[in-house]
Amino acid sequence: MVQSNGGCASASPAAASSCEQSGKSAADLGLNLDDPSLSSDVVSKVTSHPCYSPEGHKYARIHLPVAPACNIQCNYCNRKFDCSNESRPGVVSKLLSPAKGVQRFVKVKERIPETNVVGIAGPGDPLANPAATLATLKAAAKQDSDVHLCVSTNGLALLELVPSLVKVGVSHLTITINCIDAAIGAKIYPWIYFNHKRLRGREASQVLIDRQLAGLKAAVAAGMLVKVNTVLIPGINDHHIEALAQELKLHGALLHNIMPLISDPAHGTYFGLTGQRQPTEDEVAEARAAAGSNMAQMSHCQQCRADAVGHLGQDIDLDADESVKPVQQEVAESYLVAVATKSDVLIDQHFGHAQSFALYQIYEDSIAPMGRRDVSQYCVDNECDETESRMASMLQALEGVSSVLCARIGMTPWQALEQAGVMPSTDYALFDIQQALSALQQQWLEQGKFSQQSRCKEAV
Amino acid sequence: MAYSITSACIGCNACKLVCPQKAIVSSATGYAIAEHRCNECVGHHADPQCASICPIETAIVDQDHRALNPPGSLTGLPNERQVIAMTKLAAKVSGGKGGAHATNG
Repeated sequence: MVQSNGGCASASPAAASSCEQSGKSAADLGLNLDDPSLSSDVVSKVTSHPCYSPEGHKYARIHLPVAPACNIQCNYCNRKFDCSNESRPGVVSKLLSPAKGVQRFVKVKERIPETNVVGIAGPGDPLANPAATLATLKAAAKQDSDVHLCVSTNGLALLELVPSLVKVGVSHLTITINCIDAAIGAKIYPWIYFNHKRLRGREASQVLIDRQLAGLKAAVAAGMLVKVNTVLIPGINDHHIEALAQELKLHGALLHNIMPLISDPAHGTYFGLTGQRQPTEDEVAEARAAAGSNMAQMSHCQQCRADAVGHLGQDIDLDADESVKPVQQEVAESYLVAVATKSDVLIDQHFGHAQSFALYQIYEDSIAPMGRRDVSQYCVDNECDETESRMASMLQALEGVSSVLCARIGMTPWQALEQAGVMPSTDYALFDIQQALSALQQQWLEQGKFSQQSRCKEAV
Repeated sequence: MAYSITSACIGCNACKLVCPQKAIVSSATGYAIAEHRCNECVGHHADPQCASICPIETAIVDQDHRALNPPGSLTGLPNERQVIAMTKLAAKVSGGKGGAHATNG
């Protein structure tokens, strides 16, 4: 159910150009790429990103859903909702770990080579999950140095993260700013989590607005292309758009994307359930015109999901794709599992801190302890990044192991282990070792990972 | 003294990121609070952090199973009890009207 508001949303070149001709006002309000104040670098960054300009439609983007947590609540969002029939911002079907996210990017890039944008847009707020977001972006840039890194945020945690975003190479940033008046904000945001507290009402929206504008300014100063998204909510912020656009211009935003509120009651959002209506197409056009004197307007937004993949308006269904692929799974009679543990009772050790692993052989019907195996510690003096040689000896030491259970593990060793065919897992962090191994055994039984051979033996 | 997570949890991971005690554990089956680690944030912060960021009402409860974020407290949406009360009220009002009509008729 992709909303397409106005014909300009189409991703096909023919439709986009015909739209530019017919929808004159919309085109006039857009970013003037001939503007001498725009550097050629900015123009190329804008035109090669499908979300920043209709010219970017020949490129494709991938949103990696690695950021589930959020630090605010918006009345147009329902955190409980996920439905495969639904398509709107903030919604995903399946979360990914940073490592899996990068894997997905590599796979998609093989299929759609023009995928040049890796974005993180949720399903929560990317900057409320800074570790996962930054790790994913860093790893994506490592895979493809030409990729544009893109983040979409509510802006609450932006200010102090601008340096980190610049460091990993984020070039495109989107902040959703719906108002600059706390009285209006109080009708949109029931609460925010800030400075270890849940704030509500006007206080909450004042903090959010201040932080958004400060973050916007800092991001622009740091050289990022900043687009501002505004959800148009009739009767709440529609009379306020001009003042908002003025302020955005003052703070240096490049583009303004006014999106119509989606308030289908079936989505279970506050606005949906309390009968807040969506704006008409005319109202959206009016708002864009009101903002247009100050801010270049964008009108081809598809309001896509936080796990969207492909060309704008032609999302591919990755889940269907992944499930069709025949699962080639190796089966064996038993598996060797390495456990990072200090206490020998709980799975309580960081992978990188382990100097030895407790080994267990998991059979279909039993679990046998196999003693400990020494390894050279992976992380030394917090220098976990320059450890390729240590990883090689670690992999040697872990030979024959099919899975490693630990309390925590860094992104780099996770990927290296996976590549070497060893499955790392933090699913059982702080679990009792025996309980975890039993759970794993059960899981593998259900997946049919144990070979027929042992089952036959048992039957005889 | 420890909180726990109910089946209302949607697994957004927010609590795990803000817990100063690293008491929140997650697995394929869901999220839980390691009882021996949770100190309800006493000595860390004025408010328990998990309950301060959790977006889901009734997902985090105290030892007596009292929700730290009771129904209606986060979304502002009318909760079940309010809906029942409002329905009763509406029935009363329309019932009253109906009665008036009946006498008029």
